[in-house]
Amino acid sequence: MGDPRILVVGAGLAGLAAAAELACAGHQVLVVDQARQPGGAVHRQPLPGARSLASPAQARRWRALMADVDAQGARIEIACNTRFGGVDHTGTVLLTGDAAALLQPQALVLAVGAREKVQPRPGWTLPWVTTAGALQVEIKTTSEPPAGRVLLAGSGPLLLALGAELVRLGQPPVAIIEAARPFSHPLQSLALPPPYMVEAARHLARLVRARVPVFTGAALTRISEHEGALLAEIATRKGSLGLAADRICLHDGIRPNDTGLTDSTALPVLRLGDCREALGAAAALADGRAGGAALAARLAGLPAPAASSALAREALAQARLARIYAHDSAAALAALPADTVICRCENRTRADLDALGPSPTTRQLRLDGRFGMGACQGRFCADWVARLARPDAPQPLGIPRWPARPISVAELLAAPDLTSGEFE
Amino acid sequence: MAKAQDHDVLIAGAGIVGASVAWHLAEAGLKVAVADATGPAAAASGASDGAVSVASKKPGVMARLATGSLLYTRELAARGLLGPAYAARPSYVFGAGEDEMAAIDALIAKLAALAGPVRVCADGGPKLLPGAGAGIERLVVLAGEGHMPGHKAVRAYLAHPRITPLWPARINAFAADDSGVEVDLGGKPLRVGVLVAALGTSTPALFPWLPVLPRAGQLIVTDAGPVGALPGSLTAAAYLLAKTEGPGREALPPVVIDPLGTGQFLIGSSREEHADPTRVDFATLRHLLARAAAAYPALTERRVIRAFAGIRAAVSDGLPIVGPMPGSPRVIVATGFEGDGICLSALIGREVAGMVRGASPGAEWAADIAALAPARFDPARQECVA
Repeated sequence: MGDPRILVVGAGLAGLAAAAELACAGHQVLVVDQARQPGGAVHRQPLPGARSLASPAQARRWRALMADVDAQGARIEIACNTRFGGVDHTGTVLLTGDAAALLQPQALVLAVGAREKVQPRPGWTLPWVTTAGALQVEIKTTSEPPAGRVLLAGSGPLLLALGAELVRLGQPPVAIIEAARPFSHPLQSLALPPPYMVEAARHLARLVRARVPVFTGAALTRISEHEGALLAEIATRKGSLGLAADRICLHDGIRPNDTGLTDSTALPVLRLGDCREALGAAAALADGRAGGAALAARLAGLPAPAASSALAREALAQARLARIYAHDSAAALAALPADTVICRCENRTRADLDALGPSPTTRQLRLDGRFGMGACQGRFCADWVARLARPDAPQPLGIPRWPARPISVAELLAAPDLTSGEFE
Repeated sequence: MAKAQDHDVLIAGAGIVGASVAWHLAEAGLKVAVADATGPAAAASGASDGAVSVASKKPGVMARLATGSLLYTRELAARGLLGPAYAARPSYVFGAGEDEMAAIDALIAKLAALAGPVRVCADGGPKLLPGAGAGIERLVVLAGEGHMPGHKAVRAYLAHPRITPLWPARINAFAADDSGVEVDLGGKPLRVGVLVAALGTSTPALFPWLPVLPRAGQLIVTDAGPVGALPGSLTAAAYLLAKTEGPGREALPPVVIDPLGTGQFLIGSSREEHADPTRVDFATLRHLLARAAAAYPALTERRVIRAFAGIRAAVSDGLPIVGPMPGSPRVIVATGFEGDGICLSALIGREVAGMVRGASPGAEWAADIAALAPARFDPARQECVA
């Protein structure tokens, strides 16, 4: 007999909602997460001693989900500090960390969330330039604002949300640089669901009260180091300006965190929540529930349940948001100077890419250019490399990465092999 | 009257063998085009460890050709062409247990018989190599071999100004006549004087009766560390057994640890009969890495950043197929090198270019090249034999 458990990777909204549905249907579920506590990116829990910054609505949502999980008792086992190494064509999964093992679960649910897009810019690899999401996670875990002046730049609703959070912590950002012009789409905005509008209004009110300059239709074009601080060059609609900061947080939207996620024909593999389609927290919860119920039905040989209407609603709202935040990122990419680092792992620049000649093949990009060949295997650069190499017809940068993440040889060799065990 | 030709020669396949043939012909003044369904070094040449190795070749034809090609590769490197691609380096062969000891003895005897540029400079225990681990019972150090990443050699060869690149474009069909070859290149008709097919695993698409089969080997790439910690490839004698006796004859994992110029390691490889580059499994990775780490413990401090299956073109009788097609002297094949193309490409490129130009092979290589002729699989001839 194979391992009867269902493995869920990711103890965020989607993963735990799926686990609760599957356990409710009688399945034994193992949920693993790389963090030290469940929560995912949205409900990241504070460190011991730090207070939670979650809003009452957020705290209610999390408590309700955890109550559902707890109600399943021993049918759900949660293992934290555990990383998913990938699934192979035999259906074997490698886990490393606290619950290290090679195992062959009955089914695999991948709920590993979204990741941020960060478009390359000159100076984006300097120390103290991070993603906005990284700062958000830092704030959620420590409940402390970062030291020094913070500048937020890029595009997407996260910039306003994070800016408002910094105001609330008594450390307003120097400015917010938004490439789109989200306030010039009043009709689209009014069509957003009320919770979106309430949240946006609350963020904006905080930013206005704290007099945080918000530049829209503006771009951060270069970061340099100057006298121990970071200097950002900003191109606004009215001209250019320079802003000094101690930390710059970049964010150009989110996308599914699906690099290295492969399928296996040996067992059912499902992607749920933001790693299937990045639609945000409410959608992840709905998708997790619906996907968990659908998998339970499939394993029982029952017809698939009806699609979730909550999910469709969120998808529509996200499409509206995308229109509100639409802007021409291709022009910014095309204008990048030759010395801009594109591949952070191996420090490969725009000039290295251009040296490969017009329309390089993906093989040339990888072997001759060494783009996507470093430790991240293209996770951060593949999209930009593809768009820079062939602006008219970007090609995916080669076969999917496998395993799912860099795996220590020592850990790979040490993981207990549970695939040959007998399960009753 | 002869029809107008688009190119003197069309090379089908931009792997290392096709690229070498193209360079040798272009160098001789011919107008050459190279077509590939994907692009340069898109298959085995780009997924190779890059070992220019005589030690791993079967005794006889392959070991003799490898010796000649190693010397010629060095010459092309000294002349500048392969300078950026080729580097001399030591190689290490290790073993444990009776079968591997015997394989190492056979290797030493083979190299002595060849009396070529590759020689055994030490034969002893793990102390011969700093960092060698307890998994090594016996270690021999070889001098004279080298390293040449396939894609770098391909790039060097194809940079010749008289080579016209035609990719991506697939050859759908061809028909040879007395004065040339008509080719359907991605739906576009092309007339060339000679067609050289260096198609690797794609060979059967145009030559269904040639027994070229895909053989996969799982390969592991680690993250980068200090460059040069391991000066050359570290090969288990089981790998030599697998190469000389055929897959499945080795009791221990046939592992090869190859240090790359980036400070990364490429570790291989299994041998499996399929053509899926994504077919990898944790059990095989552990099987290979356990032996690799026992031989070279510093590997346990590295991370695996990627694993994939390299697909090589294997021939049923273990020898490549090189030469004109029976009855069609204007169609020449050069395929089925199963990973040995890195080492053999220089010499094979020169010899095939000679065939195209109608030159008779040098006496030194005539018999060995003749042993690779496709005629050995000619259905007509086999019927006669039967």
